[in-house]
Amino acid sequence: MNAIEVSGLVKKYGRFEALRGVDLSVGRGEVFGLVGPNGAGKTTLIKSLVGALRPSGGGVSVMGLNPLGDRAELRRRIGYMPQGPTLYEDLSARGNVAFFGAAHRTEGLRKKVDEVLTFTELTERADDPVHTLSGGMKRRVSLACALVHDPEVIFLDEPTAAVDPQLRSRFWRTFRELAEGGTTLFISTHLMDEAVLCDRIAILRKGGVIATDRPGSIIEKGETRLVVERDGTEETETIGGHPEDLAAALRPYGLRQDITAVDVETDTLEAVVLSLIEKEVVG
Amino acid sequence: MRRTFIVGWRVVRQLLRNPRFLVLSVAAPLVIVYFLKIFFDTLPPTFDVARYAVPVAAFLVHFLAFLLCAIALVQERTMGTLERMFINGFRRTEIIAGYVLGFLGLATFQAVAGLAEAIWLFELDYDGETLLMLFVVVWLLAIASVMLGIFISTFARHEGQVFPFVPLIIVPSVFLSGLLVDVSELPNWADWLGHAFPLFWANDVIQYVIESGWTLADVQSSLAVLAGYSVVLLLLASRTLREEL
Repeated sequence: MNAIEVSGLVKKYGRFEALRGVDLSVGRGEVFGLVGPNGAGKTTLIKSLVGALRPSGGGVSVMGLNPLGDRAELRRRIGYMPQGPTLYEDLSARGNVAFFGAAHRTEGLRKKVDEVLTFTELTERADDPVHTLSGGMKRRVSLACALVHDPEVIFLDEPTAAVDPQLRSRFWRTFRELAEGGTTLFISTHLMDEAVLCDRIAILRKGGVIATDRPGSIIEKGETRLVVERDGTEETETIGGHPEDLAAALRPYGLRQDITAVDVETDTLEAVVLSLIEKEVVG
Repeated sequence: MRRTFIVGWRVVRQLLRNPRFLVLSVAAPLVIVYFLKIFFDTLPPTFDVARYAVPVAAFLVHFLAFLLCAIALVQERTMGTLERMFINGFRRTEIIAGYVLGFLGLATFQAVAGLAEAIWLFELDYDGETLLMLFVVVWLLAIASVMLGIFISTFARHEGQVFPFVPLIIVPSVFLSGLLVDVSELPNWADWLGHAFPLFWANDVIQYVIESGWTLADVQSSLAVLAGYSVVLLLLASRTLREEL
């Protein structure tokens, strides 16, 4: 059984369709990325999966449970880190983590809170009020709140938005450690250098999934270009992405003196995603 | 039940860690009661101060308990912590009851402080039973105000949307609940409308007990209505506070 199954999910706000028949499935222990521009429907999809939004149509199942019908059981098994800080600013980091942990009747809560604060490297500031912490620390507190009850599936809505590169790399190390422990991670992001770290990604545009695949396979949908500089003039030729394609493309040029530079340019994931979004190619 | 106490304890801890909010919510009614004293001192000595002093103190507690609770709960919504509580498994009855528990402490403190100041400043001389009953009625009114605040908060998307309910609910209650004039002197429809406000029933009890020779039988029906308000508003709030959109 997959950790997450979504079929034909529709969410309407009045006449506006925020999700237009989304289909996807996420395996257990997978790090799944939801990629798309602002307003693509990423948060709406995550909120539908955690039972914060009632879908207008279609089906959703998380760990075989209906987010609305099996609300009580599901909420014990999932963790959720929203996009904003969504913390009690007057309480300490420890107070926040303990509060959300207590909701789940977590066994040995005090020890668990200590563990998760250590895991997120917050021990030194654990007893300071949240309003005195930096933005990055607040994100870590928010992550700790989502982890404290050892959830089987964690939903993270743009967890590294407005986070510095060092902290972002630390977050991704944490995500990988969790996935290695068997936890399923469903992460929304609009940062392509993060998307490439996922096992699989879905590209969302205007409420519809336009491609779902491994980041590597999506990059392969892009173009590889051979750029040859001859007598100060650049000639660009689109070629296949395989080594033999490069050799075949270079053969006509030989190794003549007038060729002063040869370069191979490959589309980045961002370029491929952008081109897919522009073309609305259905994956 | 355990999670209700967890929410209640969290609300209390938040209030304790916010001294500005705490001082303002207790100091504001005390300062206003003092202004009332200055104003009443300008009136002729024949003016019946006792008829107004305690009801006005009760009104201030009612107004502030309503406003502070409604704003605190709306802030939970705007900050996303209300949604996060739901997603973490808290149920709406647990959240509402937790809020009631948390704000009950504040409402009790407001009731005691407001009442004590009014009695001291206006040199009101009541026996122990009367003082106890005055405290009970102001306390019940404060609970009903917390419930009203929770109920109204479900209709507001942000703090600013709480304020239109002040002229809609709180201000009319000053004129129609017998606080300023006897409701029997009002037009029939206004008399009936006045009965819809919890302040009417609280004032009814207060006016009875500040007269000598009251018995519990005189006030028990008004006390029951006041307590009933809290139950009805609690039920309404638990229906309108939605877990998902």
